[in-house]
Parts: sequence; structure tokens; C-alpha cells
Amino acid sequence: MRARDLAQDFPTVSLDSDATEAARLMAREQLPGLIVCDGDGRPYAVLPGSQILRFLVPRYVQDDPALARVYDEKASDELLSKLGRSTVRDVLPDKRDITEIPVVDGDATTIEVAAVMARVHSPLAAVVENDRVLGAITVRALLDHLLPS
Amino acid sequence: MTTTLVVAIFVGAYALIATERIHRVSAALGGAALMVVIGVVDAEVAFFSEETGVDWNVIFLLLGMMVIVSVLKQTGVFDYLAIWSTKKARGRPFAVMVMLTMITAVASALLDNVTTVLLIAPVTLLVCERLGLNPVPYLIAEALASNIGGTATLIGDPPNIIIASRADLSFNDFLVNLAPIVVVLLVVFVGLCRVLFRSAFVYDEERVAAVMALDEREAIKDKGLLVRSLVVLVAVMVGFVAHSALHIEPSLVALLGAGTLVAVSRLEPPAFLEEVEWPTLVFFMGLFVMVGALVEVGVIGDLGERVTEAVGDNYFLAATVLLWGSALLSGIVDNIPYVATVTPLVQGLVDSGGGSTQSGALWWALALGADLGGNATAVGASANVVVIGIAARNGHPISFWEFTKYGLVVAFVTIALAWPYLYLRYYAFT
Repeated sequence: MRARDLAQDFPTVSLDSDATEAARLMAREQLPGLIVCDGDGRPYAVLPGSQILRFLVPRYVQDDPALARVYDEKASDELLSKLGRSTVRDVLPDKRDITEIPVVDGDATTIEVAAVMARVHSPLAAVVENDRVLGAITVRALLDHLLPS
Repeated sequence: MTTTLVVAIFVGAYALIATERIHRVSAALGGAALMVVIGVVDAEVAFFSEETGVDWNVIFLLLGMMVIVSVLKQTGVFDYLAIWSTKKARGRPFAVMVMLTMITAVASALLDNVTTVLLIAPVTLLVCERLGLNPVPYLIAEALASNIGGTATLIGDPPNIIIASRADLSFNDFLVNLAPIVVVLLVVFVGLCRVLFRSAFVYDEERVAAVMALDEREAIKDKGLLVRSLVVLVAVMVGFVAHSALHIEPSLVALLGAGTLVAVSRLEPPAFLEEVEWPTLVFFMGLFVMVGALVEVGVIGDLGERVTEAVGDNYFLAATVLLWGSALLSGIVDNIPYVATVTPLVQGLVDSGGGSTQSGALWWALALGADLGGNATAVGASANVVVIGIAARNGHPISFWEFTKYGLVVAFVTIALAWPYLYLRYYAFT
């Protein structure tokens, strides 16, 4: 089976989309991430849910997990307000840190898709043909296909 | 010819370390390797000679303390102390800065100053964020305090460890000779902070409630581990104080403490080795081999004789030059290679004085100059570099000049106070 056969319709967002709306979309549709497209509609990056958490939780708390325990609930809520003032561009890592985008073409085999996702630690891969996003393959869909029923 | 080659290799490697054109570990190891290739250094010279070999006391003291810090980090005690003190200060910005810098200074005297700022910086960012304060002045003040506090003891700053081992000075020698002036310097430093960082003290009553709501007890995940760790830490400090009487080297005290802590904490190797900076330990080894080569071919001996002749019996002049010169150089280049190189020269001067108080005080001039001079610029001490890195990763970049404009003032004032201290204590009445 090829990537185009496994691809499912998948919502995309732009770099200037509202970050809160993007997070809500992810939560509502139970998506592991979103495909972010540039101005020309080409895939720019994949925004996984964990990246939103990485953006919200201060770096010093990520470095020193003991600090996470000293926050009260009110302080935790305040952290979330940071998302309200941000766009998807703000939430993504620096461009120089995005070394590879998990994109495959329609002809890619399942093992090629799995290799790309494993290499960049992405929960999904965008399937692209002729510079157009056909859809995406999630880890769940890929495992469903690979594991014997 | 061999001597010229040795000097050329040493100067070349030192230039690479100072300019950071290549990683300092590569430069030190490359220099050491070339000393072997030209036939000056063999296994005996590099590993087993007390005069020219790797100073294993320094390496293992550092290793032991790094393991101790790795275990202490797991306890969350620094987070607890910082939040507790901020709450005690009722969130008043200047009082918070005083509390945080004093915790840093004391911890730096007992541990290593790089590790101390690594442990205190994250919780400082949290406190400042809760109080709505710019964390940059607080982080800079902590780096400066760590370098001053670390000056007080044998284990507080790597240059002191090198000096102690090479000069056969005890933990108590450092405590008796350096701690008094460091206490004075810290008091003056608090006053300087009030002036230098005055624009950082913005009090917002509403934000204070956000800090008072933090629960510092939550930072302590395992109370049993904390108690066991503190008991061992106290025992290690007692061991340091009594090491001369017990005839145990400080390095062995640190290793025994580290081993005990590992045993009682029941942590796995990745956890108790987390804070061990292997590149730093290897850098030290390369450096010792390079300096050992200079000693082996007689360069240090010749230089020492000339310096001794020039100084004559005017040891206060020598102390003055050593204090201010070390401060100047330590502000520009890393103070570790500087001290490793200068120590054999100072040893010659001290020996020429027959172990008198006046000549012996040269060690304190070197330690004060090298340790306090590290505050002068953003790259003068490892703690400064670490703090700047943490600030940048958390969205608060500190430029070289932003750090240096505060560091220069603090370095100058502290050195200027250390100078009359040396004069009054060791030269005026003898």
C-alpha cells in the first residue's frame, strides 16, 4: 500500500492562524498534530500537540521539573493565557531548528512513511503530490495498517 | 630547541583556549598530545610525577563534588530555599535579590559556583515571572555573588582547588585567610546591588500574592532523600575542616562523601552522574600535562628564578602585581588555565621567602585576583557564561556589555577592597 492510499483528509492551518484556535481544533478533532502550510499552501511544518505544551510551559520549568509542583492552579491557568496572544508561527520552533518536515509523496511505501515519522519524532506525516497536500497519515492509522489484525 | 618547541606548543594551545577558536578540551588535549609527540612527556611525567603530572587530587575532588551536587539536585532543596526566602522577603524586590544572592554565595562556597547558578537560576526565573520583574539583574547578581562566595573556600572555585593542591594548603587555611574578606565583600556587594540594579526594584502588591501562593514544600519530592543528603553533606564539610588532622586529602573526603551519598540515595548511575562535567575534567588533565611539560624542560624554573630576583624581598609589591594582574587576566581569559600556569611560579616565590607569612600571602593574592577578577566580564568565569546561556534560553538575552558594565564595577570594587586587606593582614605589621 502507498502513502496516497493511507492518507486521510486532514485540516491545515497557516503560520498566521490563531494559536488558540489551532489548539482547540486539535483537541476537538482529537488530532495528534496539525499540518502548517506557508502562504503558497505548501507544507511548512507539522505542529504536534507536545510543541504547544513546550511553548506554554516555561523553559526553566522544563529544565527543573520540581518547579512544576510548586505552581498553584491559578498560576497554571495564567500559563495558558500565553496562547491567547500568539499565532501558530510563535508556537513553532525556530525555523533553523526545523531541520526536516515529515512530508512524503504519494508513492511512498509504508516503511518510508514510518521512517520519516520516526526520524523527526512526528505523530503524523503530510502526503504531498504536485505541491498539494493530499492529506496526512497519523501514527495511529499507520500502526492500524502495519499490525496484524 | 626542545624548550622553544614546548613554549610554542603551550602558547599556541593557550591562544586557542583563550580565543575559543576550537573547543578548549580539544586545544588542551591537542597541546598535551604534541608534548608527547616531541618526546618531552612520557607516562611517568604525565601520570605519576607530583611536579609535572596530572594533579589527581584536583580531578577527583572535582569529580566527588560533582557527584554530590548531582544527588543534591534531585532533592529540590535549592527550589525550596529560594521560594521560602522570597516569601520571607514578602516579595519585596530588593530583599528578594539579597536573599537569592546570599543563598547563591553561601552555596557557592560549599559547592561549585557553576553548579550553584545552574540550580538557582531556574527558580529565580520563576520568582521573577511571578513578581512581574525583569529577571536579568537578578541572574547577573547571582553570577557575581557565586564568584565572590566561591572565593571563600578551598572547594568554592576551581582555581582554589588547584592552588590548594599545588601549595599543600588545607581547607582551614582557605577558610581562615579568605572567608573573612569574602564576608566583607558580600556586605559591600549587597550595597552595590542596591545602587547598580536600582531600576529593577519595582514593587507590585498584586503580584506578590502570586508568589505567596507558591508552595515551596512541593519542591521536595523525597524528604528522606533530602535528610540523608544533608547529613552526608554536613559530614563532608566536617571532613574538609578536619582533613589535616585526619590526614585525609580533600579529594578523598569528597570521594568518600560522594560514595556514601550514592549508597544512601539509592540513585542509578545516570542520576548521580548527571552533573559530572566530563569535558571539564578532561580539560584539566590536558592542561596539567601541558604545564608539566613547561616544568619538565625547565622553563618554569628559569622564569621563577628571574621573577624571584626581580621581587627580591618586596613581597607586598609581588602580591599587588599578582592581585591586580590576575584580576585583569582572569577577566579576559578563563581563570583555570591561568592559575594552572602561574601556580609553579608563585610556588618558587613562596619558597624563596622561606615559608614566611609575607611570601605565603602570595597564594591569597593569586586566589583573590583570579576568583574575583572572573566577575569583570561576561566571559571571565564559567558561572557568568552559564547564567547568560540560561537567560537566553528563557527569552531574556544578556549581551556581553550588559553583563560587563555591572561586572567591571563589582570586580574593581572587590579587588580594591582585597588589596588593603592583604596589606593590613600580612604586610603592615610584620
